[in-house]
Amino acid sequence: MAVPTPEKLFSGSARMTLIGLLVVAAWLGMGYRLFEIQVVRAPELAEEGLSQRLVTREMAPQRGKIYDRNGNLLAMTVESQSLFAVPDQVTEPLYVAQQVGGLLGIDSDTLYERITSDRDFVYIERQVDGVLAEQILAQNLAGVFAHPEPTRVYPAGTVASHVTGFVNIDGDGQEGLELMYDDVLRGTPGHAEYEKAGPYVIPQGYTNIVPAVPGLDLTTTIDLPLQYQAQQACLDTVERTSAESCWAVVLEVETGEVLAMVGAPVFDPATRQTLDPSCEDADDPNQCRLFSNFVVRGMYEPGSTQKMITFAAALEEAEVTVGSIFEDIDDELELLEGACRSGDDDLHGCYVDFDEHDTMDMTVADIFTRSSNVGTIKVAETLGQKRLVDYIEAFGLGEETGIDYTVESPGLLRFDAGCQTCWASAAIGYSVAVTPLQMAAAYAAIGNDGVWTTPHIVRSTVDAEGETEVAGIETREVVSPGTALLMRELLASVVEDGTGRNGAVDGYRVGGKTGTANKLGEDGRYTDETRASFVGMAPIDDPQVVVAVLVDGPDYDHRTGGLAAAPVFSQIMEQALHRLGVSPDGEPG
Amino acid sequence: MTARPLRRLRVEEGLRVLKGRRLRKPSVAPWMIMVIIAVAAFLGLGFARTSLDRSAFDLAELNKAIDEQAALNEQLRLEVARLENPARIAPLADELGLVIPTTTNQLLVNLDDPSPVVAESDGDGASQ
Repeated sequence: MAVPTPEKLFSGSARMTLIGLLVVAAWLGMGYRLFEIQVVRAPELAEEGLSQRLVTREMAPQRGKIYDRNGNLLAMTVESQSLFAVPDQVTEPLYVAQQVGGLLGIDSDTLYERITSDRDFVYIERQVDGVLAEQILAQNLAGVFAHPEPTRVYPAGTVASHVTGFVNIDGDGQEGLELMYDDVLRGTPGHAEYEKAGPYVIPQGYTNIVPAVPGLDLTTTIDLPLQYQAQQACLDTVERTSAESCWAVVLEVETGEVLAMVGAPVFDPATRQTLDPSCEDADDPNQCRLFSNFVVRGMYEPGSTQKMITFAAALEEAEVTVGSIFEDIDDELELLEGACRSGDDDLHGCYVDFDEHDTMDMTVADIFTRSSNVGTIKVAETLGQKRLVDYIEAFGLGEETGIDYTVESPGLLRFDAGCQTCWASAAIGYSVAVTPLQMAAAYAAIGNDGVWTTPHIVRSTVDAEGETEVAGIETREVVSPGTALLMRELLASVVEDGTGRNGAVDGYRVGGKTGTANKLGEDGRYTDETRASFVGMAPIDDPQVVVAVLVDGPDYDHRTGGLAAAPVFSQIMEQALHRLGVSPDGEPG
Repeated sequence: MTARPLRRLRVEEGLRVLKGRRLRKPSVAPWMIMVIIAVAAFLGLGFARTSLDRSAFDLAELNKAIDEQAALNEQLRLEVARLENPARIAPLADELGLVIPTTTNQLLVNLDDPSPVVAESDGDGASQ
């Protein structure tokens, strides 16, 4: 075979052939690469590309709103800005601390320390008002940024704080309805996946949006104007009587709906701080976090308001009639020999009436109207301990009422095995502990012809599809309608002729009962301090509303239920009747 | 090479010679139409794609505007609720000399009497 000469090898036609072959090879190479990229590795590369462009964002659900019975907003969520800093990027920390600290009211030294720390991220202030945040961001301070964050706000301020409760800074329910209905209000988070190029969303790119499901709204049974009036009445009373606190609850008799539930001192649900002057100088921060709602959680010995149950039981059991006469009622009764002389165990064997009086014959009506402890124990004696306790339990004492409010106290109804006189104490409201709500519900049963109804504070939940009524309202007959009617007349006589005159309301016939109970000291002995209460209803011929008021620790001049609590009852009841449009007695309804 | 005469075609009787049809040149028009359609389709697709993209941007803008309006609406609802707060209104009413009524006034309408005259009563017990 002849070897081609170099001249022939690099001749023009050969070179053209070679170049052609190289071009073809290059095209083949590119074609293979294209095939590999577009076909063989296509799914893998597409996924890799998508992962670089794909952004996943959690979508927080809108927390449900809380309304009063008339659609007034009690709680809602709005968007705010949370300001944060990346310390590494803050170039002028001193300037930032002074500028931002001044606008936000934060100590500049504290802020300086925070933004010069060695952390990657620090919050400057969370949930700042949008306008203020914009003002700060407009200064283009290096290393200072903001991100949107929902904030819970309470438009009614302190007025409904004991009802709504509050959430923490992360939006988790901590107290009141916010805690009780946290699962309902919270909603379900969603998420959005979408493709992004730089700061822009790629139109028609991959998107997968699972929308957040907003929380349900709550419609409460609260009447906001009445809530305000009741709270003002309580605040005024705390000032008037120098009491530690005042609590009141207003129930609609037939439905068990809570129209108002207030306490004084109040707290601001937004700042979670008690609004009490003493808090300004408080050493212990917990002193200013008195959020607990005494109406459902506080236990106290009810004193004479308990007598309503004793008399209702005796009348229902036909052991007495309203006109039954008890002879020789003294103002002192010694159930255990020597108890009244020892001065050691006054209320466990020795019982005295609040006012001294001569020995006299008294009808059942007289005993109730004058609130005689001795007479009441005589009435209770006709029942015996077992039947008395049965009725106390039937009226809902000693167990939770079932109200839809967080952490309810069941009260205390437990006698020591060896206690021989506890039944007598219980008959006049000692040796038992109740909540104001329990007493209100018990009186509401009398107003409702003997039918006890579960008190409740949420009427319905509301979502996009409409309103769903809250279930779980129970009713039970405690006494007959006849007994309830007799009791209502006895209660009216207390206001008309007895210890509860200050509870009267112009234009309406009112019935109620005062209660004054000495407070237990830390040593377990009774002190001179009292808890004054009044529970009553109106109009007495067809009760619509029950109001229970408790004034804790009034001064000596206002130490009784008639002096401290009855005037508050009168104010609140008057407003409640007006709010419900109840006609005055003698007027067509 | 020697020349020789062409053989004469023998024409059989009964047959005649027809003039043959000329072959036409291939036309470019269909190709042009196809190209135009293809270009039009390409442009149409591009336009549609651009329109869709623009719509997507418009939609995003609209959604953003809706969100902003919804947020504004919520802020206004909050403002209204704050303005309606009894704790704000009551002191203002007090300053203006307004008081909470202590009696309930009722207008009693006699439905049997077409006269619009009504009797007024209050909590003191007066009635028609």
